[in-house]
Amino acid sequence: MTTARFDELIHPSTRLTLVATLAAADWAEFAYLKDRVGLSDSALSKQLTTLEQAGYVTTERRLTGSRQRLRARLTPTGREAFNGHIAALQAILAAATPPEPPPA
Amino acid sequence: MDDIDPDQARTALEAAERAQRQVADEIGLPRAYWWAMAGGWLLLGVLGTVASPWLAGAATLLFGAANAALAPRLLDGRRRTSRLQVGSALASRRIPWLVVGMLATLVALTVLAALALDADGADHAGIWAGLLAAAVIGFGGPEILRVLRRWAHA
Repeated sequence: MTTARFDELIHPSTRLTLVATLAAADWAEFAYLKDRVGLSDSALSKQLTTLEQAGYVTTERRLTGSRQRLRARLTPTGREAFNGHIAALQAILAAATPPEPPPA
Repeated sequence: MDDIDPDQARTALEAAERAQRQVADEIGLPRAYWWAMAGGWLLLGVLGTVASPWLAGAATLLFGAANAALAPRLLDGRRRTSRLQVGSALASRRIPWLVVGMLATLVALTVLAALALDADGADHAGIWAGLLAAAVIGFGGPEILRVLRRWAHA
């Protein structure tokens, strides 16, 4: 069962999109994430570093042909934080939704 | 958390859902798989027409074996692109069955097309039927699978 926990680190829209993308994937390459969030290389690197330092994301460099490619994946901690954050957002919405009137 | 109003929460949830939908859109098989399948289809059509039944039979078995070897790795639909691997929770377990069903239907359609062309007096009916099926698979394979996924909610 997921515990609702608002996560300040995940909440900014770019990071939320990054983490949501990684939560749906086993891993994603840097280029794919860059296309999704529309950031420059350096800005995306900075966001990934922030998430990595929090223990939410791991990155690894893989050699494909003659090119090095960076892969990012969500850690179990990151997945738990994302699920908790989504649950917290849903709880905010649910609290704001007026209860349905009892059937007549 | 107290600073977040319901509209902000809704916007954030929508952004997260949109990001996950975009990952789900990556479900499918690599384009190269469809073209390899199309090439094999055409080759079998040619061999079935011009080669001995033994050679055509052996080629069909080889084609089936190659497909069976690729199936465990590709048919789950999570590796369409080399840029990401879709999570197993997102890819329906029915996708391999959809692909197999689609290919089986195309085999039946190829045979029917060959019989129809042959009855119409066409020369090399097997080749023409194979070419037709190969064009459908090569150009339309990913799109057909996408439509099937939508129909099957997979």
